[in-house]
Amino acid sequence: MAPKNFEVIKQEVKKAVAAIIEIPESKLTDDIKFIEDLGIDSMMALEIVASIEKKYKIVIPEEDIPKMRCLRDIYNSLEKKL
Amino acid sequence: MSLDLEHIMNVLPQRYPFRFVDRVISFNEGKREITCIKNFSMNEYFFSGHFPGNPVVPGVIMIEAMAQAAILLFGALKPDVAAQKPDFFLGRVEAKFKKPVYPGDTLVIEATAAKILDSSGIVEAAAKVKNGVCAQTTIAFGVKINT
Repeated sequence: MAPKNFEVIKQEVKKAVAAIIEIPESKLTDDIKFIEDLGIDSMMALEIVASIEKKYKIVIPEEDIPKMRCLRDIYNSLEKKL
Repeated sequence: MSLDLEHIMNVLPQRYPFRFVDRVISFNEGKREITCIKNFSMNEYFFSGHFPGNPVVPGVIMIEAMAQAAILLFGALKPDVAAQKPDFFLGRVEAKFKKPVYPGDTLVIEATAAKILDSSGIVEAAAKVKNGVCAQTTIAFGVKINT
């Protein structure tokens, strides 16, 4: 995959997450907590992870998923993998 | 690796008249794929009502067959979790139906894991008869171990 500007990737991820959890992108800040603030359940978390894996052709290990508590955590994890 | 009927019965909680996988014909651990078959005979109970004089396999039954293949795939990939006899519940289904399935058809279900965790999974499945793909689906499901 051609290297993309990471800001573009962040926007793509934010858009995908907002679509899965069905909230406006404007409400999805980088630090809003998925479980505590947005009520995301394990199945939504799985859908987020699967969509990111598919789009960027990476594998997110099962043990890393609980560490992804907000959008910023996803960005940080992705930045290391891409 | 081939899984026998006994294995299916152990993993699948569904029973007659709601079991829609007859046999697992292949499982590829590396590709995370399972292939199952379901023979629809004229004796299936739902044909008398769906539809009188024009029997067609209901689309929801095809989705159920693909969901049961997804459970079997989960069981093959996560045998330790499946051994605890968890409950499986559907979370989201996206489906496309392309061709009808009739009495006498053998449905071949190919299911591939998109992501499988201990507590949930996403599986992509296609249901085929000899003349091509009849239905495709993406199924997200949860797995809950009863304590």
